[in-house]
Amino acid sequence: MKLDAKSLDTRGNGIPFKFYTAYYVSLYSGMQAKTLRQLLEGVKAADSRVLFHHLFHTIRTKHLIPPKYTNDFARWVGEEVGDEDLAAELSDISGAEPATLEDIRREIVEILEPRADERAGREKFIFVGMEPVVVKTDYVAHTLADFLDLLEVVPGESIVYHFVTRRVLEGAGRNDFSTWLEKNFGLSEVAAQLSKIDPLMYNSEEALRAAILRTLKKALL
Amino acid sequence: MIEKYAEFVGEQEIDAIYKLAQRLSDLSILHVNSTAAGGGVAEILQRMIPLMRELGLRADWKVIRGDEEFFTATKTFHNALQMGKAVEVPPHLYQVYEKWQEINANELDLDYDVVFIHDPQPAGLVKYRKRGWWIWRCHIDLSTPHPEVWAFLRRYVSQYHAAIFHIPEFARDDLEIPQLVIPPSIDPLSPKNREIPHTTVERVLKKFDVDPERPLLLQVSRFDWAKDPLGVIQAYKYAKRHVPDLQLVYLGSPAHDDPEGEAVYREAVKAAGGDRDIHLLMLPPDSHLEVNAFQRAADVVMQKSIREGFGLTVSEALWKKKPVIGGRAGGIKIQVIHGVTGFLAITPRTAAHYTVFLLREPKIREEMGRVGREHVRRNFLITHQLRRYLMAIAYVTKRHRA
Repeated sequence: MKLDAKSLDTRGNGIPFKFYTAYYVSLYSGMQAKTLRQLLEGVKAADSRVLFHHLFHTIRTKHLIPPKYTNDFARWVGEEVGDEDLAAELSDISGAEPATLEDIRREIVEILEPRADERAGREKFIFVGMEPVVVKTDYVAHTLADFLDLLEVVPGESIVYHFVTRRVLEGAGRNDFSTWLEKNFGLSEVAAQLSKIDPLMYNSEEALRAAILRTLKKALL
Repeated sequence: MIEKYAEFVGEQEIDAIYKLAQRLSDLSILHVNSTAAGGGVAEILQRMIPLMRELGLRADWKVIRGDEEFFTATKTFHNALQMGKAVEVPPHLYQVYEKWQEINANELDLDYDVVFIHDPQPAGLVKYRKRGWWIWRCHIDLSTPHPEVWAFLRRYVSQYHAAIFHIPEFARDDLEIPQLVIPPSIDPLSPKNREIPHTTVERVLKKFDVDPERPLLLQVSRFDWAKDPLGVIQAYKYAKRHVPDLQLVYLGSPAHDDPEGEAVYREAVKAAGGDRDIHLLMLPPDSHLEVNAFQRAADVVMQKSIREGFGLTVSEALWKKKPVIGGRAGGIKIQVIHGVTGFLAITPRTAAHYTVFLLREPKIREEMGRVGREHVRRNFLITHQLRRYLMAIAYVTKRHRA
């Protein structure tokens, strides 16, 4: 659905979108893996905050690792154990809506279980959990125009918080952007297109931001 | 002052720091360590405390005192915790340690809402805690400690509300308290890291008879076996076979509290074997300008440690756009991303190989240097550590939700 330029300035149902941002306290989980089998056991036992950390670590950390693998489990299997095929499979898991952490865990276990043997990594895999520290920003969007403009300038951490953390970790069920577009403007189709973006396929905040903006511009401009 | 960091980390990061600080503005915060000057902890606190105050926080810094015997005890504990069983620990040192904890607890006002205790030296103060949230900030490698010394220290550490380690590898399975991971940082505005004129660089090099026109390999670290000075000299010798005009500067400081340093220095001199292109420099601990100049002049920087806490000299070099060849130890592994910001090397031959490779490939050297600075800019500047400390306080005091 295309809107004319004027529609971008309407306030819809009058609900503003307040941008928050989140930083993450890293916490040692007490679990470590030396072998693929131990990695599998760890994935099975890890709580949601540990799983979230290692799955979305790549997208939200300020790393410079080449974008070969999209999550920590795949990176460890590829670089430390040296099984690039298995690593590529682990990189291919889906985190798009409506996948929950439990769905993603199940997919990892399915891939890992048949090949989880005693092969060890050069370095141990250390399971780390996280706790978000949420901070309110000064950015508020009242209209679609505001929203599009602000999506380009809000901190990268804010994009990840609303698109990933709220849905995957905090149980919102859907990313905040889609929820707002539907609730405030009735833009169900645009919201659905946004929901198709799989954050697990992106390896930086900026790459995710670009994908979201691309989808919205295509639908709204 | 804090606004000056916006040019490095951006206004949004500074804004987030202000917002986090606002949430904690009713709390009094105390940092306690064992030295007012010298060493990485004091260096960071000298800047961290004014920054916290500028944010409107009531932050103080206090230093414990002790006699020679106390510092012998803490130095022995330090070595035992980092080096494991190899260190002999006379039993009476435990009593010396406890005696000075009590003296300091009686003399220092510890009545704060949040107390950061840095390293093992003042860790025992927790026994005298009356109120507040206490956080133990550990700056050393605790992965394979001397069992008896750790068992002694663990009795204290277990009484804290949380502990903070540099990297997850240093966290302990035998601690029940929350263990946070926060890497240390460098200050881009400090004399050691700020921009300096090229003439200063040249002047400093000439002062120490180092030729600014010839390739330079540098390691900045204490004369300590853990830093592998002999391995560095060996790597230089291998590399010099391919790059005959190569020079090596190993820049360290005399450590009065470390009698072993003298012996290591003597061994290094022996290993250098009269090579006039090897410069083993012992400079005073406050030689920040000299360190800055040598890091800027170097073509390749090495940090070939066998054991390492974090190795902030790596970030210092990366910040100055120098690729680093580092040992696979401690925090070096998260600063040197193999093939991206430098190379990880264990043996002198591997280190020599990467040295020659980098000297031969100026474009790769330049690109790695550029990426290295960006890696530090994103992760290891003092404002990151400040934000992470505020986050730690928010987490421990259960204020991390907006």
